[in-house]
Amino acid sequence: MTLLLPLTFLLPLAGTLILAFSHTRLGERGSAWVGVISVGLAALATALLVHQFLGMPEARGVTLWTWIAVSDFQPTFGLMLDGLSLTMLGIITGVGLLIHWFAAWYMHGEEGITRFYAYMNLFVASMVLLVLGNNLLLLFLGWEGVGLCSYLLIGHYYHTAANGWAAFKAFIVTRIGDAFLAVGLFLLFRELGTLNIAEILQRAPELWAAGDPMVELTALLLLGGALGKSAQLPLHTWLADAMAGPTPVSALIHAATMVTAGVYLIARLHGVFLLAPDVLLLTGVIGALTLLAAGFAALAQTDIKRVLAYSTMSQIGYMFLALGVGGFEAAIFHLMTHSFFKALLFLSAGAVIVSCHHEQDIRRLGGLWRRLPLAYTGFVVGGAALAALPLVTAGFYSKDEILWQALASGHGELLLAGLLGALLTSLYTLRLIIGIFHGNPGSDNARRAEAGRGLAHGLPLIVLVLLSTFLGAWFEPPLVEVFPAPHEGGEGWHLALEIMASGVALAGIALGAWLFLRRGAWLADVASHGWGARLWRLWHHAWGFDAGYDRLLVRPYRGLVEWLRNDVVDAVVGLVARLAWWLHVGLARTQTGKLRLYAASMVVGATLMLLVMALAT
Amino acid sequence: MTLTMTHLMALLPLIVVCATAITVMLGIAWRRHHGGTAAVTVIGIVLTLAMLLPIWTMAPVEVPLLVVDGLALFAGAMILISSLTCAALAYVYLDNYPGPREEFYLLLLCAAAGGMVLAASRHLATLFVGLELLSMPLYGMLAYAFSERRSLEAGIKYFILSAAATAFLLFGMALLYAQVGRLDLPAVAAVLGERPTAWGLAGIGLLLVGLGFKLSIVPFHLWTPDVYEGAPGPAATFLASASKVAVFVVLLRLVLSTPAFQDDWLRGVLAVLALAGMLVGNLLALVQSNLKRLLGYSSIAHFGYLLVALVVGDGLATETSGVYLLTYLVTTLGAFGVVTLLSSSYSGEDTAALHHYRGLFWRRPYLTAVLTVSLLSLAGIPFTAGFIGKFYIIALGVEAERWWLVGGIIVGSAIGLYYYLRVMVTLYLVEPGMRRRDAPRDWGGRAGGVVVLGLALLVVMLGVYPAPMIEWVRLVEHITVR
Amino acid sequence: MSQTATALIAEQWAVGVFVLAVLTLCVFTAGVASLLGGRSWGRAKSLPFESGVVGAGSARQRFSVKFYLVAMLFVIFDIEAVFLFGWAVAVREVGWSGFWGAAVFILILLAGLIYDSRVGALDWAPRRRPPGPAT
Repeated sequence: MTLLLPLTFLLPLAGTLILAFSHTRLGERGSAWVGVISVGLAALATALLVHQFLGMPEARGVTLWTWIAVSDFQPTFGLMLDGLSLTMLGIITGVGLLIHWFAAWYMHGEEGITRFYAYMNLFVASMVLLVLGNNLLLLFLGWEGVGLCSYLLIGHYYHTAANGWAAFKAFIVTRIGDAFLAVGLFLLFRELGTLNIAEILQRAPELWAAGDPMVELTALLLLGGALGKSAQLPLHTWLADAMAGPTPVSALIHAATMVTAGVYLIARLHGVFLLAPDVLLLTGVIGALTLLAAGFAALAQTDIKRVLAYSTMSQIGYMFLALGVGGFEAAIFHLMTHSFFKALLFLSAGAVIVSCHHEQDIRRLGGLWRRLPLAYTGFVVGGAALAALPLVTAGFYSKDEILWQALASGHGELLLAGLLGALLTSLYTLRLIIGIFHGNPGSDNARRAEAGRGLAHGLPLIVLVLLSTFLGAWFEPPLVEVFPAPHEGGEGWHLALEIMASGVALAGIALGAWLFLRRGAWLADVASHGWGARLWRLWHHAWGFDAGYDRLLVRPYRGLVEWLRNDVVDAVVGLVARLAWWLHVGLARTQTGKLRLYAASMVVGATLMLLVMALAT
Repeated sequence: MTLTMTHLMALLPLIVVCATAITVMLGIAWRRHHGGTAAVTVIGIVLTLAMLLPIWTMAPVEVPLLVVDGLALFAGAMILISSLTCAALAYVYLDNYPGPREEFYLLLLCAAAGGMVLAASRHLATLFVGLELLSMPLYGMLAYAFSERRSLEAGIKYFILSAAATAFLLFGMALLYAQVGRLDLPAVAAVLGERPTAWGLAGIGLLLVGLGFKLSIVPFHLWTPDVYEGAPGPAATFLASASKVAVFVVLLRLVLSTPAFQDDWLRGVLAVLALAGMLVGNLLALVQSNLKRLLGYSSIAHFGYLLVALVVGDGLATETSGVYLLTYLVTTLGAFGVVTLLSSSYSGEDTAALHHYRGLFWRRPYLTAVLTVSLLSLAGIPFTAGFIGKFYIIALGVEAERWWLVGGIIVGSAIGLYYYLRVMVTLYLVEPGMRRRDAPRDWGGRAGGVVVLGLALLVVMLGVYPAPMIEWVRLVEHITVR
Repeated sequence: MSQTATALIAEQWAVGVFVLAVLTLCVFTAGVASLLGGRSWGRAKSLPFESGVVGAGSARQRFSVKFYLVAMLFVIFDIEAVFLFGWAVAVREVGWSGFWGAAVFILILLAGLIYDSRVGALDWAPRRRPPGPAT
């Protein structure tokens, strides 16, 4: 236990170091081996931990050491394992292993594979640190670590300028959230005098009454951090552009794990959020808004990965909705199933993209279902889970739980948003699958598609296919001890809701099938004229947030910077540098290299010393 | 007082170092052999280091002239470790040296013995003997590459100025003797008592001048860059590490044991010296384009920071000094080690000009990593050893409410960051087509390379997991004679 | 305050007088000599005074480094022999421990002597090659 727990992040870290210091000596194959095996061993350690935990399900911690101890400020390197972190750990190392393995096939023949695996391993290590840290400082360290890896991996193909800009955007936008989070942590430390998570959860209710302005403010700041990381309104604009990275990166970082860190943060600090009911409600509302906005946006994308990116935002919106109504267990459960089927969808998309010679535009694909049967299976099963088809998919059980929590807690409006979102989900999922796999190929690349071969390609997909079915919902996260009891209600209502949600999903599928298979030409016609075209453009650009931010924030800021380029403040600040320079020049004159001067300065110093001593008495 | 077995045991490390020196000397007389001499030196030092462990349990032991307590053992261990590093570096450095190579180890061992005597002295006589035994071989080491103009210049400059400083020191001792009538430190401390007279204070002030010169405290700092620049790599390494540690430890002992140092005026003087050191050192390094000179200036600044511990003089002062010295030592050894390794295969001037380091990363990534870690640590970036040291100093200053000094540390660190980063940027710049200097191809497999890599690892480890170091320093404080 | 000042003056007045006297004497001799002394200029006047003999050759003569080396070695061994006098005076009082101390001291001196002779420091002229680096 004491050894296994640190191993889960030390092993990937060791992988990073080996790769970093190999200096391209390992070659493509060696790099892939190191990258996969280090995460594989971490997954093995996790499996042993799960085994131990299920034998004795109680939270436990390992204090590794105290970094420096100065009165109140005693940051410790301590790890904590409870049901929540165990669930996250399982997702990170398990799904991470599959994606690492798949990447060995996906990245075959690409440049910089050592770099790729080094960053991927570093990401896993940081993410594990994030979920295992028993104090918020360590969590913050992991939080920044995954942000850094995200930046590095989005810009993996850095020879194209646009990818660099996408990486910049992701880094800067999430940084805005991080600033909120940091201030929130400072506030917590000031008010509670500790950053230890268990102590915070214990002291917060003692110090604050529910609805205290201070706790509302703190929770709001923490929420800001979570919004940035989890790509929720209004800090969501980076995620779609983040798809510039290699597809396994999108699968691991921008779908399965890192973007759910915000959900984890709120769930981890649920004690603080429960004291701030207004902020909690705001969380739910933001989740609902995001899931709708992203759902509409996903309808009008032409790039496979962007569709998936918006669907990720939408699904995380569901999780935020669940958090907002107090259904923490439901949120984490959905986080888990989502990581299975979204990883599956992204990897299948990766399979399609590589098979079709890096063609990502839906309109230029089509009719691939015969040629790429495995990817097709992946899309169908993953899409079904995403659309939450009843009974057979993992997504059904988790999404149903979220909707039920919304109803049981009496948030009818959020429930409605969730149902509408379900309809949208079915629509855009079907549009995506039909666009890629049915109809006629739209380009030579699609016509010349070659199915991927090999274990690294097939096995991760098959495992994820299985996990996306109802089999995946069998994993029940051991969260009973961690969170307050979920909302209860009549069983009859629950059944009625299940039937309703299933109906909505099926209706969406039926509507989609009718629209996209039968009335495709009519749809294209509507989308290219008048109001339809405007709506299409609006959704295609995701409600125009990017342009809006550009007008509202970026341009005024640049204007301000332009205006302030030569102002008084700058001159004053520049004065400091100039002062240092002048002092340097003055002092450098004493360094003549002349022995006489050096000796003289000693004599002067000694004389001054004697004078002062004489004055002293 | 008769010498018992315990006393002999406690003095054994010193005896072994001296015996090793004599063995090396006789060995050279018998037959010159570079590898053999280096091996004997290393074995002797390692033996001594191992011997420190059992003595740890019996400390403190006092003899009339020396005291073997926590501080002495602590300093001894650090001096021996840096001597070991210097020996390993010298072995690589001197490999292609045309002149006699073996005497360097002889000088190194003598200097190490001097440092150990100095750190263990409880009598002004041993203080003087130790200081001279430390300095005399250093002159030789600094001028070792005497066919190089700058090396010779470094040796002579250090020799003459050091002699002048010694004159001040001796005069200070004479004044103290005139006042007290005795030379052992406890007696001096007792007689000077709470309210020292003018003669006593003057004596202490001159003592401070003499020791301050060795520590390159402003205004006695002017020699530092010239000597660092000219000295051969291993000699500069020893000067920057072991010599400074030994002198600082004896100064710390003086401050701790003499109540006269609690005098407000004396503290004021120390505070001004500290502030001047931080600012002058860092400002001088600002646009320095020679790495060895830059490290020299940086050492001026670092001893400015370290003086803060002496200004405060109580509470956490010993712990702070110990932690800071240890982190500074490890870091400095790493930085100088890289410079020495890069210089080793060239006869002539050392590789110190910054333009030789342009794009080093693309040729020697590991060496560059070591240098980067060392520079980060010197700048005091978190998760390196240097951060822990600086954190201690600032915490000490804040606790004692010495706001001017804390301000000085912050301003100094800010300036420091600029020039350390400047060097780091240079390391990673794309390689231009200029004449380049490089470490030997197999540097990593040789003694010096292994030591340097180990030091870099230690810098990171102490930064991430400083608890054992802090525990050790607390133990040192516990068994130190006040 | 005034009391301590008085005490201080009472304690330190001699020092003050001494410092003043030194300064006065220096200023007096230099000043009076420059005021009263006659001056004469001439070519021979700027030559170094050699008791009436005209100086020949340069003052910067080069001596062999061996000269200094032997002189230094002489001084070192000479001074260290002085320590033995101290032992000789108290040979009975310090007993066997003193004997062993002195023995160690002499042995170290002997080792130094052997080293000096082997590296050729005692040879006046480089008759034979000192043992060079083993090749």
